[in-house]
Amino acid sequence: MDTLLAILTVFTQPDLLLLVAIGTFAGIYIGAIPGLSVTMAVSILISFTFSWEVYPAISLMVGIYMGGVYGGSRTAILLNIPGAPSAIATALDGYPMAQRGEAGQAIGVTTVMSFFGGLIGILVLALAAPYVSVFALKFQPRDYMLLAVLGILLVGSLSSGSLVKGIFAGALGLAIGAVGRDPLTFTERLTFDLQLMEGGISFIAVMIGMFGVSEALLQLQNVNKTAIRQKITKIVPSFGVIRKYLPLSLQTSTIGVIIGALPGTGGDIAALMAYDHAKRVTKNPKVPFGKGAMEGLVAPETANNAAVGGAFIPMMTLGIPGDAVTAIMIGALFIHGLNPGPMLMIDQPDMFWFIVGALFMANIFMLIFGLTGIRIFTKIVEMPRAVIIPLILLLSIVGAYAVNNSISDVYWMLGFGVFGYFMRHYGYPLGPVILGVILSRLLDDNWRRAIISDREDLGRFFEGILTSPLSFTLFAAVILIFVSQTPLWTALKIRLFRKASQ
Amino acid sequence: MDPEFRGDQDHHDGTSDATPGGYDAKRRPGELGFALFLSLASAILFYNAYAISGFEALSAPGSVPMATTAVMLISALVVTWRTARLPRVTVETLRGDILPMTVLIFAGFLVIFGLLLKPLGFLPTAALFLIAAIRLLSGWGWPRSILTALGALAVIWIVFRVIFTVLLPSGVVPEAEFIQLFRNLLSGGGS
Repeated sequence: MDTLLAILTVFTQPDLLLLVAIGTFAGIYIGAIPGLSVTMAVSILISFTFSWEVYPAISLMVGIYMGGVYGGSRTAILLNIPGAPSAIATALDGYPMAQRGEAGQAIGVTTVMSFFGGLIGILVLALAAPYVSVFALKFQPRDYMLLAVLGILLVGSLSSGSLVKGIFAGALGLAIGAVGRDPLTFTERLTFDLQLMEGGISFIAVMIGMFGVSEALLQLQNVNKTAIRQKITKIVPSFGVIRKYLPLSLQTSTIGVIIGALPGTGGDIAALMAYDHAKRVTKNPKVPFGKGAMEGLVAPETANNAAVGGAFIPMMTLGIPGDAVTAIMIGALFIHGLNPGPMLMIDQPDMFWFIVGALFMANIFMLIFGLTGIRIFTKIVEMPRAVIIPLILLLSIVGAYAVNNSISDVYWMLGFGVFGYFMRHYGYPLGPVILGVILSRLLDDNWRRAIISDREDLGRFFEGILTSPLSFTLFAAVILIFVSQTPLWTALKIRLFRKASQ
Repeated sequence: MDPEFRGDQDHHDGTSDATPGGYDAKRRPGELGFALFLSLASAILFYNAYAISGFEALSAPGSVPMATTAVMLISALVVTWRTARLPRVTVETLRGDILPMTVLIFAGFLVIFGLLLKPLGFLPTAALFLIAAIRLLSGWGWPRSILTALGALAVIWIVFRVIFTVLLPSGVVPEAEFIQLFRNLLSGGGS
């Protein structure tokens, strides 16, 4: 009964409902406008909402997250520019459809399928998370440590770019998180004896710099790109169309939830994997893939929205973010004095059920806003970048300043903005950095707890890993990711596949 | 579109988040320099991490920083080594593609913004920045640039100062008094 009440919190408080609606609406546009990303929006928003209560702040962020993952598909279909990374696969078949004049239908199916995927993600979250959190209570410190390492490695290896660069980015994030006074012994770490560094580097400054400023600087190089107008007719898809793709969407939603729930991996990877899956299982598509196949739209769009619910599972149960956005949300919960992890689920289950309710509402708003308001949409997306980019920079500065009212945070942010700009240019993924910063404390604390309880004995530590099934699985996964990047693995794969094909 | 494809003819296709812009088999201008810089920075950080507590104990405050900076150093060296062996992209230049003039100008704008924010206050600084930036990027005339900039600033100010109640340095503009006046007007009208 309490659970039900907590889920319904969103419905009973009109202001929260309104915030979810505003968030979803804004999210769709933020996701749709190339150059504005959900990660950017949420990281800037944390600094503006930190003086709020927790519920309103979370309502807004949940809305933006849900809307943004969907919004990216719009520009992918209409302009062949994915508005967000999770929509990269959508462009593959969405744009050819628009070229054939079926933009309206493509948007309609995308919207309904995103809703469907989102719904499945939320259902799985609601059903699985309570069990996972009970299970998570059995986690030893070393398991947390391994999980954190695994999460950082997963983002590094699955996102595009080389694993070595991903590993570097993750380690950099961990190092940034370690700057300042050590919470246990109060020793100064990596401060270069500067007083400025003693308090550590504000992770919000790092986030806004990496996702806001660097993105805006990068966008400066294509200021003059203009959008092409598309005629859109008939948006709401027929029931027959939906029913036809239901089996496929169930499969791809499942892929989405699982990928989303893996620590570190989010909608972008889920969408690409689902697209691959659809290509494999669809034997005779009406239109070939890449030329405007409906299956090629259904798969990534269900998967990326299902991944949203999935990403909340590790975040709420273990305190380990499922993707970059949930990493930032963990930061937001920290700021509000909450500590995501199994204890939060047990001490404050209302918080969890509230998020489930908010996600559910955001999903419904997404459907409503998605099927209406196309006209305003095309107007807003055509907003000149010459105005948008300076505004992003301005908001980034305001956001970085607002958290601690300190100018030095603004400089940190600018520094990381420029640094992130180079990282983007040279193919270093930024996701692992943020994950590293967020997980730094958790990894450090748990490593020290684990090794102290094993009396500083590495032998005992590894014995513990090898004898506990859970630790061993996690450890094996970490090793596997490393091996998968070495020539050894490629050689092995070639041999295996040759055997299979014979 | 190939999922591994990382950009249009300008090498940045407008996708956001952590979409890296590097190439698999080629090295972009300045990429080697950046990798060298990262290696050097990692080495300095590693040295610093070692100085925290050395090899005192596995649970010492310096052990995780030492491990992470060691990983940074090793991976940065691997990246440097790999990058050095790649052929350079022939169609790109450092000035044209990595650090064009606009980016440098904007970086300068941002530094000036940071310097002026405290003494001058948020509103004048932001107005100056927006006008200059929009004028520079859009190529519109002064009147249109100024109007757009001030309009956008008004919206931002109302949303963030009034609704989100974010405190911004007021500087030379008597912001608080203005808001109070505004509130008085509202409450006066209501009663």
